[in-house]
Amino acid sequence: MTPAIELHDLTKLYGPVRALDGVCLDVPSGSVFGFLGPNGAGKTTTLRILTGLARPSSGGARVLGHDVVTATNQVRAAIGYLPDVPGFYPWMTGRELLRFAGRLFGLSGHTLTARVDALLDLAGLAGVKTRVGGYSRGMKQRLGVAQALINAPSVLMLDEPTSALDPIGRKAVLDMIASLAGRTTVFFSTHILSDVERVCDTVAILHRGRVAAQARIGELKSRYGMQKIAVEATPSAEPLAAALAHAPWVSAVERPSDDRVVLAVNDVQRAQREIPATAVAQGVGIRRLETVEVSLEDVFVDLVGVER
Amino acid sequence: MTGFQAFLGKELWEILRTWRIWVLPGIVLFFAVTGPVIARFTPQLLQAVAPDTGLVIQIPDPTFLDAYLQWTKNLVQIVTFAIIIIFAGAVSAERRSGTAVLALTKPLSRSAFVVAKYLAQGALLIGTVAVGAAITWALTYTVFGEAPWRPLAQATGVWLVWGLMILGIMVFLSSLVGSQAGAAGLGLGAFVLLSIASIWDLAVRYSPAGLLGAPTDILVGRAGYLLWPVVTGFALTGVALAKAVWAFSRKEL
Repeated sequence: MTPAIELHDLTKLYGPVRALDGVCLDVPSGSVFGFLGPNGAGKTTTLRILTGLARPSSGGARVLGHDVVTATNQVRAAIGYLPDVPGFYPWMTGRELLRFAGRLFGLSGHTLTARVDALLDLAGLAGVKTRVGGYSRGMKQRLGVAQALINAPSVLMLDEPTSALDPIGRKAVLDMIASLAGRTTVFFSTHILSDVERVCDTVAILHRGRVAAQARIGELKSRYGMQKIAVEATPSAEPLAAALAHAPWVSAVERPSDDRVVLAVNDVQRAQREIPATAVAQGVGIRRLETVEVSLEDVFVDLVGVER
Repeated sequence: MTGFQAFLGKELWEILRTWRIWVLPGIVLFFAVTGPVIARFTPQLLQAVAPDTGLVIQIPDPTFLDAYLQWTKNLVQIVTFAIIIIFAGAVSAERRSGTAVLALTKPLSRSAFVVAKYLAQGALLIGTVAVGAAITWALTYTVFGEAPWRPLAQATGVWLVWGLMILGIMVFLSSLVGSQAGAAGLGLGAFVLLSIASIWDLAVRYSPAGLLGAPTDILVGRAGYLLWPVVTGFALTGVALAKAVWAFSRKEL
């Protein structure tokens, strides 16, 4: 199956700055794809190129097989886009804005009315009569997602859709995105890892204009995440931590509390054999020994955090 | 061009729903209403200003022509300035507010975006000036009892060629320059250059600079052959719009 989005050696220069440095990426059709990266990694630049708002310096990008530079009309007709800071006409109501967005796609009559009604419901704005200029940030963001869906797009591109939202607004937007899974390819840029873990099935991590990793979330964790083992010891974990700190299979030692030590390990089976033996040798009792689940944050920090 | 009609509709609707319906029409209609009245009472106003100076001011009795000249003078000077200031942000304001991104990531080309802007604002200008001219004619007739429509229509029509050209230049500058103040400054510069050119006889005969004094010349009956100023005025408008499309298409949003 043709990927919904293909980036091939995509490079974007702003003077001497390489905002994108040979990005290669495939976004599978139907996936909810998290495009992760710290601020300044090049996420917004990538989305601006995909939507025709900016041009690549070299390399290429295709959406649904259409080149984003030479076939902009076909690309724009097939996508929905929510920028990081969406701009709306403040004098319009939400309904008027959605009708305007629909007419830009050539929608009219009953089809347009039905779609506008459905999207206002989805965005929780059905009963709102005030003009967009009076909307809260959360309402604007939900309206932004709704306008991006007016053409029932094959690919929905969202640039940091939950940044600067309160928890309720964030939940509402994430629920909207989650409800699209399987129906639309969602390409979703963010630096909020918990949002990605909640709604995305596949992720790419962008760092300094390059793709540092791309995989399904579970695969990414197992591939890049350092395994961790937490030990609760009695009376103190200090002797155990000191004894294990220099073991060849231990990469890092954390001490969240006096009776607890968390070991980043590169050989889990060896760790499970040697931790009890070391505890006995140090006269330390073990209350609990468990493998800690690797979070996306751990992977992210492993891949980009140390270099920042 | 799928979205052209929708965007043009939005532009016209925006004029009706925002401050745009008040500013340019307000300025034009104010001068349309006050022009004939000021022309009628100018002698009395001057006497009232200097009653005890012993200065004797001899002014011929005002006629409908004074009212018409008042109208064209205001069009050439104040309304031209108003067009420059008001439309300096025609394109750049949408870029700054992010609404251009909303529209241009849908099936709306950048050329359609620019042309729709020009057509909507041009319609506002034509409608406003036409209504203003009609009011001037009606009030002039009321005040002076005489108001031939043909010279007023000709003078206003020729000025509209000028006004639409200035609008085209402002749409171009607004596409080229991100700042509204910057575009307004460049627009005023272009106006000054055309004004300077209008003292050169050859430029008056063969370039849009001839449009500047043409409305007054028509009213006083000394208008020359206006074909070249009108044709070159339309041509400059077309060039300005083509350049606006070119400049806006090159911009990254």
